Amino acid sequence: MSAHHYLLVTLGLYAVGAFDMLAQAIMRRRLLTSWTVTATLVGFALHTASLSQRWRDAGHFPAVGLHDSASILAWAIVLVSLVVYVRTRVEALGLAAYPVAFGLVLIANLTPASESGDPMLQSLFLPIHAALAFFGYAALFLAFTMGVAYLVQERELKGRSPRAFYYLVPSLERCDTISGRSVAVGFGFLTLAIATGMLWSQSAHGRYWTGDAKEWAALAGWLLYVVLLVARRRTGWGGRRAALLGIAGFAAVVFTFVWMTVVSTSVGAAQ
Amino acid sequence: MIAIAGVSHKTADLPLREALAFPADALASALARLREEAGLGGAMILSTCNRVELYGQSDEADRLEERLADFLCAFHGRPRSELDAFVYRLSGAEAVRHAFRVAASLDSMVLGEPQILGQVKEAYRRAEEAGALGSSLIALRNRSLAAAKRARSETGIGNNAVSVSYVAVELARKIFGALRDRNVLLVGTGKMSGLAARHLVHGGARATVLGMRTLDHAVALASALGGRAAPLSALREEMAAADIVISGTGAPGLVIHRQDVEAARATRGGRHHRPLFLIDIAVPRDVEPSVARLDGVFLYDLDDLRTVADANMRERRKEAAAAEALVEREAREFLEWQKSLDVVPLLKELRQRAEDIRRAELDKARRRLGPLTPEQEQALEAATEAIVQKLMHAPTVQLKEMVKNGHPPEHISLLRKLLGL
Repeated sequence: MSAHHYLLVTLGLYAVGAFDMLAQAIMRRRLLTSWTVTATLVGFALHTASLSQRWRDAGHFPAVGLHDSASILAWAIVLVSLVVYVRTRVEALGLAAYPVAFGLVLIANLTPASESGDPMLQSLFLPIHAALAFFGYAALFLAFTMGVAYLVQERELKGRSPRAFYYLVPSLERCDTISGRSVAVGFGFLTLAIATGMLWSQSAHGRYWTGDAKEWAALAGWLLYVVLLVARRRTGWGGRRAALLGIAGFAAVVFTFVWMTVVSTSVGAAQ
Repeated sequence: MIAIAGVSHKTADLPLREALAFPADALASALARLREEAGLGGAMILSTCNRVELYGQSDEADRLEERLADFLCAFHGRPRSELDAFVYRLSGAEAVRHAFRVAASLDSMVLGEPQILGQVKEAYRRAEEAGALGSSLIALRNRSLAAAKRARSETGIGNNAVSVSYVAVELARKIFGALRDRNVLLVGTGKMSGLAARHLVHGGARATVLGMRTLDHAVALASALGGRAAPLSALREEMAAADIVISGTGAPGLVIHRQDVEAARATRGGRHHRPLFLIDIAVPRDVEPSVARLDGVFLYDLDDLRTVADANMRERRKEAAAAEALVEREAREFLEWQKSLDVVPLLKELRQRAEDIRRAELDKARRRLGPLTPEQEQALEAATEAIVQKLMHAPTVQLKEMVKNGHPPEHISLLRKLLGL
């Protein structure tokens, strides 16, 4: 099977996992069924096969252009959410992660793979920089979803009217803790990704900083996360403020990603 | 055959249920009388505040459930005719289904409440101790309790608190996660606040009790909770260290004002971003309602707690269908299994098998022997019949004996295997 066929089957399996979970959440408030688990695990295996096939076909690490970026981001999100699930046993993680993974794989299925013979892409910096960035994005995405879960549930609790989130997501304390740890891990990856990106830029263009909008957005997001982490450490503040700042930081990250994959078409911006 | 007769919250009001209840100390003698008077192979009495039910097992299935109902009325000296409208009488599959549903808390007043499982277990234990439990009821107990546990673990029928004091604990867990080392501040020494505090302390929280006029009650409650007592004048300082405040005084006016909460949160040191959960279970209320608008403060009064309890109940009802399906499946499996153990059809099958073999062999013999005189024919019939009769005699008697003694179920399945049935 070709990379594209694998990706198509992956899409179907992720759809089963995501929709089963959402339906369960609405109908019964139980999240993880054997359907979701099986579909997601098999889907992830095929997704991995699709990416490795694609790597061979493209001749470079498949992280360039919307098709490849969406696919690999979905892959990283599923992997990170599975790892965090194994560590925390919080089923609600999949509530955002699986539908988003499905959406990203759908985008990947609908867009053509970009082909480029740019010698820059043969650099060893590409797999290192891209892998670091995508794992960072995935961890920060998870932090973002737990932040949203925190905010919505806090609203329900403060309004004294428990609704869906009250029954679906873990306690405020736990949402905050998982979000905080994910930010710390995601920030580490992001920092290394930015550093390797600059080294790559230096080796390719002779400049660490090209002034691209993507670079400024990455820096802005990185600074927001610095503020967030320092505030958590120093003043012990977490909860709502931390969740809001985490969401702002993630918005910058999303902008970086979108700018890199959609707006900017030059290969140089892919670093 | 299993049958059940009884009353529950669905058919009878509390006074009637009380009138028909069996006090614990009279249970053993009541069980003995029940077996005697209703002619039962086994009996069990389930008597809780929400239901009084007699479970009976007998090989004489005729009017079994009526015999149970008769006994229920006679024991309490009430005429049957008067109670007919309230006493339900179930037999066979209906009774089995009912027993499964009761154990799984699907027939409870508060759907999914956990106590009924223990009560049913206890009722079977007492019947067993009194030597009243028969083999069918033992099997019913094992299967229905296992099904009830499955229903609890595999569906959300028992999830979410539905009583006010448990809702308070659930909310505390939703806000703080684990309760270990959280500080609970009790304002006033009311019964309800004591109850909620006990649950929290059980979860690992530390309690401080503020006394209203005198410290006596506060000291007593604090020692019961393993915490300490302080005067009401220390409210602000104590609240600064508290995560959860339960206020349940009998004061006519407000006890905790907005300024108190603001002052406490301002002096919390590094903790002023931590959430504060205020539970006001006093009527009239103790806490100024506008406190709820403060950042990081969660305020619930008695009505709010009830609203959450109602919402939780709706969540349980969503799970009820899944639990019903599971219990129905288990009950049907039990019924089928029971049917396979019945010795009456086993006997019938056994005799049929012997008769079939006799006929087949007789036909074969006739073909070999050619035409026979009527005398010879008769002699052949008589001889083969006698062989079958004599061979079947011992197993028939033994099987009937087993029926009488309440055979262990494994014997029947072993027999079936041996006989190839």
